[in-house]
Amino acid sequence: MKVKIKTGDDYQIFEYNGELNISVITLIERLDAPIEYSCSCLQGICGACAMLINSQPRLACKTFLNEERMVIEYDQITIEPLSKFPLIKDLKVDRSILFDVLNDCEIWLENDCEYDGQDLDFEYEMSLCLMCGCCSEVCPNYKLGDFAGAHLAVSASKLVNQESDEKHLKNIKNNYKKHFFSHCVKSTACEDVCPMKIPTQRAISKMNRKSVWKIWQLLNRD
Amino acid sequence: MVDIIVVGSGIAGLTASIHASDNGARVSLISPDYSERSQSVMAMGGINAALDTKGENDSVKEHFTDTINGGCEINNRKAVEMLTRDAPGIIDWLSRIGTSFTRDANGSVDLRNFGGQKKKRTAYAGSRTGKQIVSALVNACRKRESEGKIKRFVGYRFLSLIFTDKNECCGVNCIHEDTQEIKSFTGDAVIIATGGYNQLFGKILGSVQNDGFATAKLFTQGVELANLEMVQYHPTTVSTSLKRMLITEAARGEGGRLFVERDGQRHYFMKEMYPELADLMPRDVVSRSIYNVSDGGKREVFLDLTHLDEDTVKIRLDEVWEICNRYLNLNPLESPIPVFPAPHYFMGGILTDENHRTNIKGLYAAGECSCQYHGANRLGGNSLLGAVHGGLICAQNAVLEKVEGNPVTAVDDEVDLYVNGDESLSHALGEISDIMNESMGIYRNEEGLKKGLERLNDLDTNVNAKYYDCQKVRLLKILAKASILSALSRKESRGAHQRTDYPQSDKNYEKATFVTYENGKIVIR
Repeated sequence: MKVKIKTGDDYQIFEYNGELNISVITLIERLDAPIEYSCSCLQGICGACAMLINSQPRLACKTFLNEERMVIEYDQITIEPLSKFPLIKDLKVDRSILFDVLNDCEIWLENDCEYDGQDLDFEYEMSLCLMCGCCSEVCPNYKLGDFAGAHLAVSASKLVNQESDEKHLKNIKNNYKKHFFSHCVKSTACEDVCPMKIPTQRAISKMNRKSVWKIWQLLNRD
Repeated sequence: MVDIIVVGSGIAGLTASIHASDNGARVSLISPDYSERSQSVMAMGGINAALDTKGENDSVKEHFTDTINGGCEINNRKAVEMLTRDAPGIIDWLSRIGTSFTRDANGSVDLRNFGGQKKKRTAYAGSRTGKQIVSALVNACRKRESEGKIKRFVGYRFLSLIFTDKNECCGVNCIHEDTQEIKSFTGDAVIIATGGYNQLFGKILGSVQNDGFATAKLFTQGVELANLEMVQYHPTTVSTSLKRMLITEAARGEGGRLFVERDGQRHYFMKEMYPELADLMPRDVVSRSIYNVSDGGKREVFLDLTHLDEDTVKIRLDEVWEICNRYLNLNPLESPIPVFPAPHYFMGGILTDENHRTNIKGLYAAGECSCQYHGANRLGGNSLLGAVHGGLICAQNAVLEKVEGNPVTAVDDEVDLYVNGDESLSHALGEISDIMNESMGIYRNEEGLKKGLERLNDLDTNVNAKYYDCQKVRLLKILAKASILSALSRKESRGAHQRTDYPQSDKNYEKATFVTYENGKIVIR
């Protein structure tokens, strides 16, 4: 099998003839080449190893060779770093902007968390965000700049249930409008690629209802 | 204003930073990566607290007793007293900062059964409790970052402690992973929260980032360690092509049962051997039982969840469902899961008192890197609790520190002496982990331990690698030797430390094993 790995401007080509029931991260390890990449948990819960695998943003530790169409039909795989973040080296990128933007958008609680049993499952799902950047990578409208990316909608949608400080809530909503609503083109690609299967559309529609469509609030529907 | 330096941004480091800043300190929070990448997110099962909401008359006293019994009496009793007393308040605090704990029908934080405890005492958030807690802590930390009270330094790995001329710890040297820049941080106190020393055993269940560098370096700089022989083997781990993965104890807490097949019959051996707690015996006991019924791994042992209902497996044990489907290609509702014990948690590490102080003024430790709560065997659900509690106690005490002397050296002297060798890094690290796995297994004996020590002595650590990795190999060799010497010195069997040549526990050893590094020599006492 042909393995193409982007390192810098070029691709390094490797031959791999071992078993296919392995993850992409195991494949990279077995090549035993000095290729830099991020990883921590090796079981899909830390988000470190997000990269482009056959042009799709995926977690390398959760993507198996024998499930890849390019491997099965064309006997090859292409591995590249996420393209929308500054490159550090090889497959390693600087995703600090994902974190910084949540600071800018005031993603925290001012008051003690309000508990409502009905919201719990939703909040649990939204808390699963790995900050891996797959959603931003796949988004047709995301580039470094004012648009925060879908992880903002996910993080904010959890807080709007939990926060009781009205002023802070207003700031979160305004930040959402500025950094998300006015940029999102609703391709819904973020939901397709999320490695945690977070229903991003539910997060986005909830945030839109809460922060943009005030009639919903007047009708007290949410 | 007091300046506090926190190294590590998992649950212990985050908690320490938040509380230190709330107590008026200015915090520098240093870590190789963001909190979302820390090992804390991998904790699944839950966090213990005697909330007594299940009508079982649970109490702090029973939590204390179970923890001490689980730890085979060599825990720091004062520390455990504080831990168990503060536990209900910790659950309340975590809820208030937005942790989405699973709730019962009354809206109270739900509790499940866990090993070594007869009563329902383990609060949980699905089976991703660690991830949910980290998510809430990150938000709380972010608020303080925005207020300028906490400053994060991401990408830096710990290199060494900085001392004053009065032998106080007043800072750390770190190296940036990508730029190789060396940066010194100085302040009034340092809190180490760098996790377990996983890499000593190779690619084990936890994060590959928890390499043990900090613990080993502290040791060589005069920090006392303890109980290094106490390595917890988690009973139910599965083999995947990436590494071994853990099936949470919650699977047994929810009713999962272990069995072995003999003469075509399923033997639920835990129930046969321990009728009362059965599969929920403490982890050391379950691991040994699996090892024994499988003749040391020759026969397969299974964890059976097939009798549980679908919601329990898919929702309350969502992580188990995911691991089985994704990495084992197995449906746990239809087929039992083949399991075997593997190294999981380090009860030993940086010795601290109940206030989380080390033997060096100004230096604190919390979380898995520190040693005080768990004795010879940790109960499931006490690690998350210990991490939060440790962070909290560290912060309370560290903010009272004030450095009196002057920093001696701000930049690590050793950097100038850095010599690159010829040995391969992966070979040297592989050799260390092979030695540790072979000599420090579930059962040990003098012969195996001495053989391990000899092999370590022969190991060439002059590797061809980056500065950090060159240092790491040398340091891990020392930490490995200290662990084996600790195991040799404990001539009895207790908790996670089982000697085939000394199979009984011995009252004379009902105490911690202390180890120091003095003039290049490892000293056990």
